Amino acid sequence: MNFVTPAAFWWLLLAGPVIVFYILKIRLRRVPVSTILFWRQIYEEKPPRSIWQHLRHLLSLLVQLLMLSLLVISLTEPYFLWQPLQARKLVLVVDNSASMRATDEKPSRLHRAQVLAGQLITSLRFQDEMAIVAAGTQPQVVCGLTGHPRTLYNALNSITPTDGPTRVADGIALAKRLIGSSRNGQVIVMTDGCFVGSEAYLPAPVADAASVGAHASTDTKSKSNTDSGSVGHGATVQLAVIGKRTSNVGITRFQARRSLLDPIGYEILAEVVNASDEPVECRLEMELNGEVLDVVPLQLAAGAEWSHTFEKATADGGTLVAKLNRPDALETDNQAWALLPKREMQPLTLVTEGNLFLEKVFEANPLVQLTVKKPSEPLPITPGSVVVLHRTVSTKIPTGPVLVIDPHGSSEFWKLGEKLPNPIVTKQDKDSPLMAHVRLDNVLMPEAHKLTFTNPEQVQVLVSALSGDPLFAAIEHPGGKVAVLTVNLDEGDLPLRTVFPIMTSNVLTWFAGQRGELRESLASGAVVDLKLSQAGIPPEALLQPLVLVDPHGQQRPLPEKSDKVTLGPLDQCGLWSIQPAPQEPASKEQKTAPLLQVACNLANRQESDIRPAQILIDKASESPALRGAGMRPLWYYLLVLAWMLAALEWCLYQRRWIG
Amino acid sequence: MALFDSRFLKQLEYLSLISKRVFRGSLLAQRRTMQLGGGIEFADHREYTAGDDFRYLDWNVYARHGELLLKRFQEEEDLHVYLFLDCSLSMGFGTPAKFDYARQITAALAYIALADLDRIAVIAYSDQVVADFPLTRGKDRILSLLRFLENLEPQGSATDLARVATVFTQRTQRRGLAVVVSDLFDPQGFSQGLDILRHRRYEPNIVQIHDPAEADPKLLGELELIDIETTAGQKVTITERALRRYKQIFQDHQQAVRQYGRKYGLSCIQSPTAVPFDELILRMMRTAGAVQ
Repeated sequence: MNFVTPAAFWWLLLAGPVIVFYILKIRLRRVPVSTILFWRQIYEEKPPRSIWQHLRHLLSLLVQLLMLSLLVISLTEPYFLWQPLQARKLVLVVDNSASMRATDEKPSRLHRAQVLAGQLITSLRFQDEMAIVAAGTQPQVVCGLTGHPRTLYNALNSITPTDGPTRVADGIALAKRLIGSSRNGQVIVMTDGCFVGSEAYLPAPVADAASVGAHASTDTKSKSNTDSGSVGHGATVQLAVIGKRTSNVGITRFQARRSLLDPIGYEILAEVVNASDEPVECRLEMELNGEVLDVVPLQLAAGAEWSHTFEKATADGGTLVAKLNRPDALETDNQAWALLPKREMQPLTLVTEGNLFLEKVFEANPLVQLTVKKPSEPLPITPGSVVVLHRTVSTKIPTGPVLVIDPHGSSEFWKLGEKLPNPIVTKQDKDSPLMAHVRLDNVLMPEAHKLTFTNPEQVQVLVSALSGDPLFAAIEHPGGKVAVLTVNLDEGDLPLRTVFPIMTSNVLTWFAGQRGELRESLASGAVVDLKLSQAGIPPEALLQPLVLVDPHGQQRPLPEKSDKVTLGPLDQCGLWSIQPAPQEPASKEQKTAPLLQVACNLANRQESDIRPAQILIDKASESPALRGAGMRPLWYYLLVLAWMLAALEWCLYQRRWIG
Repeated sequence: MALFDSRFLKQLEYLSLISKRVFRGSLLAQRRTMQLGGGIEFADHREYTAGDDFRYLDWNVYARHGELLLKRFQEEEDLHVYLFLDCSLSMGFGTPAKFDYARQITAALAYIALADLDRIAVIAYSDQVVADFPLTRGKDRILSLLRFLENLEPQGSATDLARVATVFTQRTQRRGLAVVVSDLFDPQGFSQGLDILRHRRYEPNIVQIHDPAEADPKLLGELELIDIETTAGQKVTITERALRRYKQIFQDHQQAVRQYGRKYGLSCIQSPTAVPFDELILRMMRTAGAVQ
């Protein structure tokens, strides 16, 4: 037996005073009484100094000495040599993904997992160490390796449910890195098993179950799910499956996009999956700003999915919410959100000698307030107004957004060259938003003008001819944006093509920037990089501290005065918003208008399917047993023994006084 | 504060008046003697013999019948009250001390007796008679009696009433009431002394007093008990059980005293010192009245 603090044996010197006091015997208190006749009668019946009483006093001394010895030995923290050799390193991987919110286990699977994990903490042996890893959304070490149960309990209880995807495999890999090369390493995964490859963690039929518990498997059997590069060779993985095969119907996709045909129209893609073993009838309700937009009755066969694209129109925008009216064990995927920004009217001044196609293409856009002017007329420039210069151009391009079509002169940005008789489009920038849904492969564009740009660094050539001459280019300069199309509309067939209104619409959208641009709904757990200035947040707002507010109102500060921020991982479904940080705590109650909103939905079929594989239920236990459970350090038992002796001494004392 | 102050004297006067109004002649078993002699109340006649006092001849009978008959009268005799005050050291125990309480009771009984024209004597004793207030009569003697009592102190060694009674009864004196005011913690037993008095045709009356701490001691643990009379020590371990046993023995002792009084028709009053002495005197009056 070894001792952690052998210096504590000095406390044994306290035995000296105990013995001295016993030998000296404390002088009895003398109490005068009027007569001792009656007292004598009592003690004549039973002599007070009987042998037993003497023995009792001696026994008392022995008990006190033994108690002191036990306490002192406890202070030295004794341990057996085999104890450190058999100490284990356990890592508890707790799945806190969205599926763990399922309420088939009351109150939730995660809570049940925490209860079972708490039992495992209780059963830790002396010198065992345990770490806790949360494996939802983004695996993270909640508590490093420690043998202190209270720290582990606190860490365990700090794990909150998320709406993110399951990252058990990453969690296990992280756990194995924590274990390192320890011989007695063990990873215990508390999960519902609703992730791909969960069966791989089950023990093989020939596995030596007795050595690692009934449902353990070595890491070699779960190689497909782990990053085996840093796996500890002694670590085993044991799966504890929580939850039953429970039916669930969830919205697995909900996105909105602008209509290609209607500038104020939009399309909604909704997908619902019946992750159950029986057919289900339910209703999908869609609301825009609280007003019912559409209601779709659904009849879904077992395991079936349903998807549909809705076409709607609104210029006002708002929050689009889809709800399933069927309550089930997982509420998270019964609701989904999408955001429709408001479309703002765009003033546009068309300067042309006259071109019907051009006028009509802008008139057809309901978001455009068109003004047609002759080149000879003065050009009143209103801020934010788009100017379209057709066949006319001055050397000075007006500030603001300008679309130049078929330029007949040089400007500060280009020099006009000779005509290109029949340019053939060979190169198109498909990634540019100006070229979205635009293909000019077979379009005839005769008599385009050759342009030589004065500052090519500002120019993005979108379409170029075989000769390399630009046909369609975008210029961004400090004064604004300029798009130039060198095509002669009267000679070619571009105005007759469907691509022409799309091109003009793209140009107008590019001029508008991110304003009114649709932002897609993100899947939970996503991380998104944003340039705040391009996302429509005014520059003055960027100067003040901003916060990211989750759907439950929790605020996370964003980097100050930084245009580029990273949001996420977004681990809660709902509407996230960026807004100015409240100045004082008292003003928290005041509603601050969000500068930017982001919709976040579960949108994850695996998380919506909360049915663990039957083989997991059959083969994995809910509560893994740990060998040697309940074994405590030696000093604990010594203390218990000392307490028992104290109780014995108390009895002896009471016998002396109460009899 | 003096033991016998003016307030105490007022209380004595009050008790005296009460005793005359309500318990006339019954407090101390006042009675007439059977001796015939000079008195007021006629008893009978007897024949004249030479030497008889002519004043008692019944001349009316001689006139009618010519016989010389002498009238006989029942002689009234005053009661002798002997107050035995225990002055042993055990009487100094308690708060207030039993001895003070006993002296107040003795003074009260003496006052009432003197007011009733009885004769009283006080015998202060412990293992022997330590002081004697001789037989006296008349209310005017009360102050000297109080002085006598005030000068007494607990003293002596172990209480020995038997020895005191033996000495007392050897005196030539008239019989009467013997009121013993004591705690009766007599190592020889309380009955021996009382028996001697009883056998010598005194009428013992018992006033037994005790301190509440004697009936219910608050003692626990390992102690050395010191008898304040004998200074003998006893090392004991007092447990709850031993305490219960002590209380039982104490109660048995009290019961034995009561039974003794009942057996021999003696007045027996037991009281803790917590009871005011005047209340105890009134209780004694009531008890005596009830008995008669």
